[in-house]
Amino acid sequence: GDSWGIFTFLCAALCNLPALPALNCTEELGAGQSIQKTYDLTRYLEHQLRTLAGTYLNYLGPPFNEPDFNPPRLARAERVPSATVDLDLWRGLTDNARLAANYRAYSRLLCYLRALDGQAGTAELRHRLGHFCSSLQGLVLSIAGVMSSLGYPLPAGPAGPPTSPGTPVAPNDFLKKMDDFWLLKELQTWLWRSAKDFNRLKKKVPPAVVTLRLEARGF
Amino acid sequence: DSHIQYERVGADVTMKCGSMDWDAAVTWTANGTDIDESHLNGSYLILKNVDLTQSGQYSCYEGSSWHLKYQTYLRVGTPPKEPVLMCRSNNYPKGFYCSWHLPTPTYIPNSFNISVIHGTREMVCEKDVFPKNRCHIRYLQLFSTVKYKVTLTVTNALGKDSTTLTFDEFAIVKPDPPESVVAKPVPNNPRRLEVSWQNPSSWPDPESFPLKFFLRYRPLILDQWQHVELSDGTSHTITDAYAGKEYIIQVAAKDNDIGTWSDWSVAVHATPWTEEPKHLTTEAQVTETTSASTSSFMPPPTTKICDKGAVVGSGAVAVCWTAGLVLAAYGVLFI
Repeated sequence: GDSWGIFTFLCAALCNLPALPALNCTEELGAGQSIQKTYDLTRYLEHQLRTLAGTYLNYLGPPFNEPDFNPPRLARAERVPSATVDLDLWRGLTDNARLAANYRAYSRLLCYLRALDGQAGTAELRHRLGHFCSSLQGLVLSIAGVMSSLGYPLPAGPAGPPTSPGTPVAPNDFLKKMDDFWLLKELQTWLWRSAKDFNRLKKKVPPAVVTLRLEARGF
Repeated sequence: DSHIQYERVGADVTMKCGSMDWDAAVTWTANGTDIDESHLNGSYLILKNVDLTQSGQYSCYEGSSWHLKYQTYLRVGTPPKEPVLMCRSNNYPKGFYCSWHLPTPTYIPNSFNISVIHGTREMVCEKDVFPKNRCHIRYLQLFSTVKYKVTLTVTNALGKDSTTLTFDEFAIVKPDPPESVVAKPVPNNPRRLEVSWQNPSSWPDPESFPLKFFLRYRPLILDQWQHVELSDGTSHTITDAYAGKEYIIQVAAKDNDIGTWSDWSVAVHATPWTEEPKHLTTEAQVTETTSASTSSFMPPPTTKICDKGAVVGSGAVAVCWTAGLVLAAYGVLFI
């Protein structure tokens, strides 16, 4: 009990001394805090999305705003990254793979969501979407922060413009609305999944664990 | 030859005596008792507006020879009404189960057929041996965007009805209540109760899918509950119990992020520690809190708050407020 307190006190003090730049313990400390922050951000976004999705689906009108609406997944919807995964596969993901999957997914989802922004009906809706996009961008950056603090390389840049060649723009208004519906659905599911992903990561890199990595130069 | 005949409550039933002519002389019995001729139309038995009490074995005998010509078992009942269906995942992420029942009895045998469709795939819901009206499904994929559509059809000889449930994977997550809830008094602490519990045994993976808990408690003499939400750990110390009063305590669980709260656990009762009557001093009873207290405070000379003896294996809970200040200082530096 007491010795742990003294140890963490020492580490906190040491890590803040500018005279010892060789000590890397702030990085691991940072990762733990960032994971918690990222987790909190996914929960915040999930909450925001509930209101936003409700409003947007109402704007799309029936049947999209009906609670039982359960359309078949069209092939064209596959370009939106899916959170769905085999259970054992998900469990076995390395930290790097887990983070990378999240990073890639949200980068692309952000792109698609931004495209939505320009066409949405009311000014109120556009404002809400804009605000959500900013928060979502915050999430992407937060994930990037965690990855770099753990020493993982960031995946290659997000996909190009939402309508990449080979995927035709929706040929009619109804299909365009279907695209929007699935985008919101996938986003919602990803946020639920991310809470679980970051839960697992939290356990692996808890904020309380501090590893002192001493550079050869310093000590 | 004998067979079974199903009829609706309130229906008019005409029974023919097998291949006998209409004008043949016959005797009908119901469960061995002769039926009065007033119910006969020739050799046909007419039962008007049948009710449940008229279920039974009906036999027709040729007049003089008393040969058994026809026998049937009449079962009076109703067609099924829309069944009540419920699906729930208490073992996320393994899968879910569905259970059903009829809102009103039909009084005749019913058969149930359940179908589970996930997107384009039809899944098999394995029927449980016990209870009979239940089946379970294993998830093949996790974090699915496609809803599950469960249709239950109930059929009997008089008709059928069905009901459908459509839901997302996350919406039906509801753990079982926490188990082994134990509440104990804390020696030398008249306002404390130590509560501990365990994750429900049906929850397969609390490591990756942690549960959070909701604790409620009140003294038996009051109606108002107090609530505490705990985001981790399976124990909690109540520090504001009324001295000497018996408490009732319950705990509920929920997945940290998705689904709904479980039902309340079995209630446990506990009373905080009180001094033995013969050791009572003339001074006021000790009231102990870790935050600033507005009530006047007079410790009797026999007990000290920060006595080593007062700390009895309660783990991380700070029992000495000065020690708590020091730890808080450490914590501030740490962050």
